[in-house]
Amino acid sequence: MVNRPSRIIEAYVGEYASGKSEMAINRALELKNQGRLVTLVDLDTVEPFYTLRILKKDLEQLGINIISFAREQSFGLGETGAMLNPRARWALMNEGDIILDIGYGVQGAKTLNLVEGAYESPDLKILAVINATRPMTDSVEKIKEYLNDLGRVDALVLNTHLGNETTPDIIKKGNNIIQEAAREALIPIAYMAIDENLRDVMSVDKKNIPAKYIKRYMPGAIW
Amino acid sequence: MPKIIGEPKKSFVTGNETAAWACLVAGAEMMFGYPITPQNEIMHYWTRLAPKYRRGFLQTEDELSAGFTVCGSVQVGKKAFTATAGPGNVLMQEPFGMAEAMRLPLLAIIQQRGGPSSGTVVYSQQEVTLTTYGGNGEGMRIVYSTATHQEIYDYIIKGFNTAWTYRFPVFILGDGYQAKMREPLEMYDPEDKGIEMVKPYPLIGFDGKIGAGREPQHLCNIYSLEEELYEVVIKVAAEYEAIQDKIVEYDEKYCDDADIIVVSHGIVSRAADDAVKILRAQGIKAGYFRPITLRPYPHKQLRAAIAKSGAKKLLIAESAYGQLDKLTKQEIFGETVKIENLFMPGVGIIDYDIINKVKSVL
Repeated sequence: MVNRPSRIIEAYVGEYASGKSEMAINRALELKNQGRLVTLVDLDTVEPFYTLRILKKDLEQLGINIISFAREQSFGLGETGAMLNPRARWALMNEGDIILDIGYGVQGAKTLNLVEGAYESPDLKILAVINATRPMTDSVEKIKEYLNDLGRVDALVLNTHLGNETTPDIIKKGNNIIQEAAREALIPIAYMAIDENLRDVMSVDKKNIPAKYIKRYMPGAIW
Repeated sequence: MPKIIGEPKKSFVTGNETAAWACLVAGAEMMFGYPITPQNEIMHYWTRLAPKYRRGFLQTEDELSAGFTVCGSVQVGKKAFTATAGPGNVLMQEPFGMAEAMRLPLLAIIQQRGGPSSGTVVYSQQEVTLTTYGGNGEGMRIVYSTATHQEIYDYIIKGFNTAWTYRFPVFILGDGYQAKMREPLEMYDPEDKGIEMVKPYPLIGFDGKIGAGREPQHLCNIYSLEEELYEVVIKVAAEYEAIQDKIVEYDEKYCDDADIIVVSHGIVSRAADDAVKILRAQGIKAGYFRPITLRPYPHKQLRAAIAKSGAKKLLIAESAYGQLDKLTKQEIFGETVKIENLFMPGVGIIDYDIINKVKSVL
């Protein structure tokens, strides 16, 4: 397979509205900016026409290959049937890095069984995105319980924020809770996400957890 | 009631999640529902929360049953609710009508989707007519149209109290955008804000023998004679009209000297708020009026705003083809102010849409 030795395959799972799509978009752009070939896959089988549709063209212009329905491809399913984009089923056959946005949240990584070759791939990493201001994941106990229900998780992404009201204090307090849960659940932490608007006020100890400054694209996506 | 939230705190949530938590802290004991987008996560989150807090849930076979089971549940004194949208809201009109007829303290959360029929699953403001005046009755309902997650939370808590105080069915009218979008919410236990929740009480099944110890409790939705029905409807109408002033809520800004008043409700009022501020900054005297209750409508307050401003025009902006427009016109009948429209059925309205429209009609 082309690119095989350094191929990155990451699947973002997590609680509804935890920031899966935002993390997936930012990760895809980060890899693209490193000169890599990247495909971003919208794997929301419950609401297949909504998550990335509005952002699709903008992201394609930034140089990412997007597997997602466009407006002209959508048709009148509404919510009447869960469906899988055929291109998503064969996503791993694309060259380069693959970032999978496992939409909706409830089924966790189980949705990956729809992607040919995902579980067999030695490169696959399943990352659970956690925001400790979300009511279902706002304590150590709740996060552990949630992770227990989620199935396979290879690492956590700390995404504590409160939208436009995010402060460094909110991020630090929330991430401490997630870190404690991660320690007890014996799950490593991949990185923490910080809104780039807080770059100047949020210092990061580089010896600690890797930090990624992210731009928020999803407020433009409506749903 | 034991505290659920404890210290009030800010959380990052969707509107549907907000609704489920609000029902929980308001002491709702039971939800009956049937899945329909965009309200599904109200059910999803309620079913995750209910077992932990010893609350109940029943997924019925359709929306008709969901509505009627709420009607039954509140009669035995259980604080119950449902949530629906679009065609589900159409189906529920029969039980909602029963709640009007029998004066049942039913609470329903409506997350409007596109119409007619199945329309879209996404968004609209096309369920205004249905929610305010649906059914074969006279619209004896109380409808709160929310604009933010905080309002969804606050008005659900208030709505349960309104329902159990006045015994008219209460509706929280949201939409698909509010349902799905995410924003910070301050969650709290009502008692920590000095809000006393009205305790639910049984409407039937009292002790004693009818005729000997007590009068029959006659919750009736069918009458044998025209005159019987007439007397009941006239009595209920009078009771509804008598409480209107206590129920009506609205928001008004910049109307003192406005040349044009933008009238909108729900999430569109957020765009209107932004638009009016921008127009003012550009020297255009725009005002903002938002009915929070669509039933009863704040007609006295809108008439007063027109009178004090001397506004030449109203601009009614809505994500529907004239439902707020129709409602507003019937409520302010006789006013001579010219009424302009911005109708965008089934799609969102942003500040620029309103700004451009205002500039085109002034």
